Amino acid sequence: MIQVRELHKYFGEQHLFKGIDLDVMKGEVVVFIGPSGSGKSTFLRCINGLEYFQKGEITVDAVSLHSINRKRPTREDLESIRKIRLRVGMVFQQFNLFPHMTVIENIVEAPVKVSGMDKEKAVEMASALLKRINLEKKLKSYPSELSGGEQQRVAIARALAMKPEAMLFDEPTSSLDPEMVGEVLKVIRGLVEEGMTTLIATHEMDFAKEVADRIVVFDNGNIIETGPPAEIFSSPKEERTRVFLNRVLKKD
Amino acid sequence: MGRFLRIAALFFGVVLVIAWSANSGPSEGSLEKIKKRGYITWGSDAEGGAPYVFPDPKAPSRLIGFEVDLAGAIARELGVEARQAQNAWDSLIPALGRGDFDIAMNGLEITPRRQEKILFSIPYYVYTEQLVVRKEESGIEGVNDLVGKRVGTLSGTVAQEILGNIGGVDVRVYSGQVEPYEDLSLGRIDAVLLDLPIAAYYGRPNPKLKYTGAPVGEGFYAIAMRKSDGDLKKKIDEILDKLVRTGELKSIYERWDLWNASQAKLTLDKKASSGYAGVEESKKAPLRTFLPGLLKGAGITILISTASMLLAISLGLVLVLMRLYSRPLVSTIAVTYIEFFRGTPLLIQLYILYYGLPNLGVVLSPVVAACLGLGMNYAAYEAELYRAGISSVPKGQMEAALSLGMTRRLALRRIILPQALRVAIPGVTNDFIALFKDSSLVSVIAMVELTKTYSILAATTLRFFELGLIVAFLYFGMSYPLSLMARRLEKRLKAGMR
Ligand SMILES: Nc1ncnc2c1ncn2[C@@H]1O[C@H](COP(=O)(O)OP(=O)(O)O)[C@@H](O)[C@H]1O
Ligand SMILES: [Mg+2]
Repeated sequence: MIQVRELHKYFGEQHLFKGIDLDVMKGEVVVFIGPSGSGKSTFLRCINGLEYFQKGEITVDAVSLHSINRKRPTREDLESIRKIRLRVGMVFQQFNLFPHMTVIENIVEAPVKVSGMDKEKAVEMASALLKRINLEKKLKSYPSELSGGEQQRVAIARALAMKPEAMLFDEPTSSLDPEMVGEVLKVIRGLVEEGMTTLIATHEMDFAKEVADRIVVFDNGNIIETGPPAEIFSSPKEERTRVFLNRVLKKD
Repeated sequence: MGRFLRIAALFFGVVLVIAWSANSGPSEGSLEKIKKRGYITWGSDAEGGAPYVFPDPKAPSRLIGFEVDLAGAIARELGVEARQAQNAWDSLIPALGRGDFDIAMNGLEITPRRQEKILFSIPYYVYTEQLVVRKEESGIEGVNDLVGKRVGTLSGTVAQEILGNIGGVDVRVYSGQVEPYEDLSLGRIDAVLLDLPIAAYYGRPNPKLKYTGAPVGEGFYAIAMRKSDGDLKKKIDEILDKLVRTGELKSIYERWDLWNASQAKLTLDKKASSGYAGVEESKKAPLRTFLPGLLKGAGITILISTASMLLAISLGLVLVLMRLYSRPLVSTIAVTYIEFFRGTPLLIQLYILYYGLPNLGVVLSPVVAACLGLGMNYAAYEAELYRAGISSVPKGQMEAALSLGMTRRLALRRIILPQALRVAIPGVTNDFIALFKDSSLVSVIAMVELTKTYSILAATTLRFFELGLIVAFLYFGMSYPLSLMARRLEKRLKAGMR
C-alpha cells in the first residue's frame, strides 16, 4: 500500500537519502531500527509530507507525491499531501498534544473540523477510543495534567480518530519514563493485532522482535539490510547491523 | 484595596513634596539683574506665532514680528539686548512664575484672573476679536449667530471665554493659529473667532475665507511680570509710555499693518485697568464645577483608546499573518508597514493623517483621524507581540495539526493562534495601558480629550496644580484596573497551560 521509489533527500549540502526504495504491504508491520541520526525519522516524515524531498516518488494507495517546490507548492501538490495524511496517521516522539484543549477536544478536533463529522458523533467515537486506552476518566483533563504515557496514548487515539489506513510511529516511547513504556506499547500491539498497517521507528528491540513482520535497518541514510526479525536479530548479513545490535542489546 | 490606598498615598506624598519644593520662587531685583547681565529674556511662543513673533520665512533662524520689534525697542531703552525664550503659549504664565524668563509678552490679554497671578504693564495694543467664516457662508453675521455652530479658537484666549459665555456653541479648541483657519476652509468647522492680529495674518489672506460682523470684545495686550518685580514694572511702564508718546509704537504697528482707530485708546487710558471684564470668576469656583467637563474628557479618552485598541488588535493580526504566512511581496509590505510605524513618531503620523491628507483630497474628522492614527500605530506593535507569541509555539504543534489532515489555514486558526495569543495577551494589555496615555497626543488634531480639557481649564483658571491632580487621578483610575486585570489574566493563563 506504500511504495517508495528512488527517494533522494538533501539537508542543505548533506545528501542524506541517495535513492531509497521500499514497499509496504497492506496489514504489514515494518520496524525501522538503526543508530541516531541514520534517517529513520526523516524517512517517516517524508511519507506524510512533513519533509520535502528533492527526487523520487512516494505512493500511498493511488496518491503519489513527487519532489515539489517547497517555497511555492501548487494547489494540487498540497491537496495530494493532504490526501495522504488523511490515510496515514502519525504519532510523534514528543506527543504534540494541543495544550490549550482538553483530551476529548484534542481527539474530536480533526474529525469535526477536517472531516465535517457531527460533533455528538465525534464525542461518542472519542469516548469509545478513550475507553479502549483506559483513559475514559481523563476526558476533561488538559494534557499538562497527564503523565507522559497517558499523553502518548491520547496522541495515538487522536490519530486513530481520523480512521487512517496506516500508522507511522516515530520513536513513540523514547521520551517516556521506563515504567510507562509498557502501557504505550500495549496500545500499539492492540492495533497491530487488528491488522493495521504500521511503520515504527524504535529502539525497543524486544518489541520490534515481537511485532515486526519485517525489520528495516538504517545506517547513515541508507537501508543496509531488511528481513524478518528472526533473521536480522540472530544472523545479520551486515557487519554494521551486528555492531549496532550488539551496542543496543548490551545497553538493555 | 489596601494596595490601592498605599499607592495612592505614596503618589500624593510625592506630589506634595514636589509642590512644596517648587514654591521657593525666584529672587528679588530682576531689573538690577537684567542690567548686570546685559540682556532681558522675554517669553513667547513662536510656533505659528505670526504676526506677533515667528520665524522669518526668508531666514527661518531669525525671529520677526511686531512683538520682536517692540521687545527690541524696550531693550534698547533699558540699555540691554533682547532675547526671546520659546515657551508654549498655554503655559507662559506658569513659566514666568517659575522664573524661566523676565517678562512674558505674547498677546497676553489683561484679565482679572491673570492679574491675580502676575503684574501687567500698561497696555501696548488694543485688540478686538474678529469672526471669520467661509466666503459662501451667509448664516453667520455676528457672534450671536454662532449658537449650534462649530467654532474654532485658541486654547486659553479671551475669544474662548466669549464663546463659552454665549452658551450652546460647539467650541473647538486648537493650540496653534494655523489649524483653525485650515479646518475652517476644509469645512470641518463653521467659523473662527480670534484676536484681530491673528485673523489679519492667517484668515484674511486665505481666498476661501472672509471677515464677518463687527469686532467684539475689545481689550488690551500687556506685558506680564512676576508680582515681586514691581521695580521692573515701573521701568517698563515708563518705556511703553515713551514709545507711545514718541510715536515709535505707532510706526511699529503701521509696519505690520496693525494700526487702527482703536489704538487711540492707548494714549487716553494709560492706567492698566482691567481691559476685559464680565467673565465669571472660575478662579474661585469650587473644584467640583470642573468635574463634568473633566469627566466628559475622560469619556472621550476612553472612547478613543478603546476604538483604536480594537483597530490595533485586529490590524496587528492581519499584519502578522501577512508577514509570516504570505507571499514574499505581501510579507515585505507588512514588514515595511511595521518598521515605518515603529520607526516614526506618532505625532508626525497624526499630523500627516489630519493635516496632510487633505492636500490629497482626503478630509478625516478629528475622531476618525485620532482612532486611525493611534490604531495604525499600535497595530505595528501588536503585530510584533503576536509574532513573538507565534514563534513561542513549538514546531511540533503545526506538524501534529498537519498530520491530522488540517490545512495550514485551519491549523493556524485553531491550533497556533490560540496558543500564540495567550502568550501575547499580557503584552497587549500593557500596550492598552500605554495607549491610554498616548491618547493625549491626539489633542494636536483638535480632539478635546482628558489632557486637552485639562490644559484648557488650567490655562484659563491658572489652577494647574489642583486640576492636574484630579486629572492624574482620573488617568490612574482608568489604567490601574486595567493593569490589575492584566496581572490576573497572566496568572490564569499560566495556570491553564504548561
Ligand atoms: N531539519 C533538519 N535540518 C538539517 N538536518 C537535519 C534536519 N532533520 C534531520 N537532519 C539530519 O538528518 C539526519 C537524519 O536525522 P533523523 O532522520 O532525525 O535520524 P533518526 O531519526 O534516525 O535519529 C541527521 O544527520 C540529522 O542531523
Ligand atoms: Mg528520530
